[in-house]
Amino acid sequence: MEEQLQQDWLDAKLRDEAPYLDDAGFTARVMHQLPARRQTRSVRGAIMCAVTLLACVVAYFASGGGAFLGESAAFLVAMPIATVCALAGFCALLVMVLGTAAAMRTSRKRR
Amino acid sequence: MSLTDADLVARVLLDDDHHAFSELVRRHQSAVRGLLRQLTRTDAALADDLSQDAFLKAFKNIRSFRGEAKFSTWLYRIAYNCFREDARKRKELVGIDEARLEAEHDPHTVDPALRQDLMHALTLLPLHERTAVLLCCQNGLSHDEAARVLDIPLGTVKTNVLRGREKLKKTLAAWENN
Repeated sequence: MEEQLQQDWLDAKLRDEAPYLDDAGFTARVMHQLPARRQTRSVRGAIMCAVTLLACVVAYFASGGGAFLGESAAFLVAMPIATVCALAGFCALLVMVLGTAAAMRTSRKRR
Repeated sequence: MSLTDADLVARVLLDDDHHAFSELVRRHQSAVRGLLRQLTRTDAALADDLSQDAFLKAFKNIRSFRGEAKFSTWLYRIAYNCFREDARKRKELVGIDEARLEAEHDPHTVDPALRQDLMHALTLLPLHERTAVLLCCQNGLSHDEAARVLDIPLGTVKTNVLRGREKLKKTLAAWENN
């Protein structure tokens, strides 16, 4: 019992007597030495949006003013309803799987 | 509401958020610098250099922090490795002999002004016992966490803490009697 009390006293004294060290510019010195920041997400996002937009414009002109859009729509309308439903279902499933995979990857990173 | 260490680490990982990392440094600088000051036998300049090195390594390797242990435990491990690496280099360069240092720090030859000073009594312990006592008794790590930091078996940590405590008690008692 007395042994335990002595141990507790010693531990408490060790914790109490450990001085709190004032930062005194330490954090600033560490931060100054860190490697430069990666491109921020917003910058990356803006670049990706701009590139996508540019690709769309190029594709529009390269395809003769987007004639393929009308042709594709006509092709879809002419398809049997069951095939259109199956195609839509497949696309929805694909988006769901990719979305789940991305969410799992992000949550693993956060953990 | 203040963010937890895990939240701050997540921000560093996802957005390379330097502000979040500076908050982590601010939170843990005192404990890490204090630990290294004790390990380096109160050489403040060397301890601060090693602490800086430890935080920089922590930033560079933050992806290896899996969150299985507390962030502070992971940080102590890096700090302790920095200390060991430096001690090994110094030993190679100037031939530091821990046994000789311990002999120089004989409790009976201590300056009377320093007696009753528990922190000074700590510096008289051999390195392995001092480290175990500092981590477990002062920084509040469990034996298991200390074993991870020091990369030694759990039983060895327990023995080192027990012996260190005994020696501290004896030193303090001897000073009281003198």
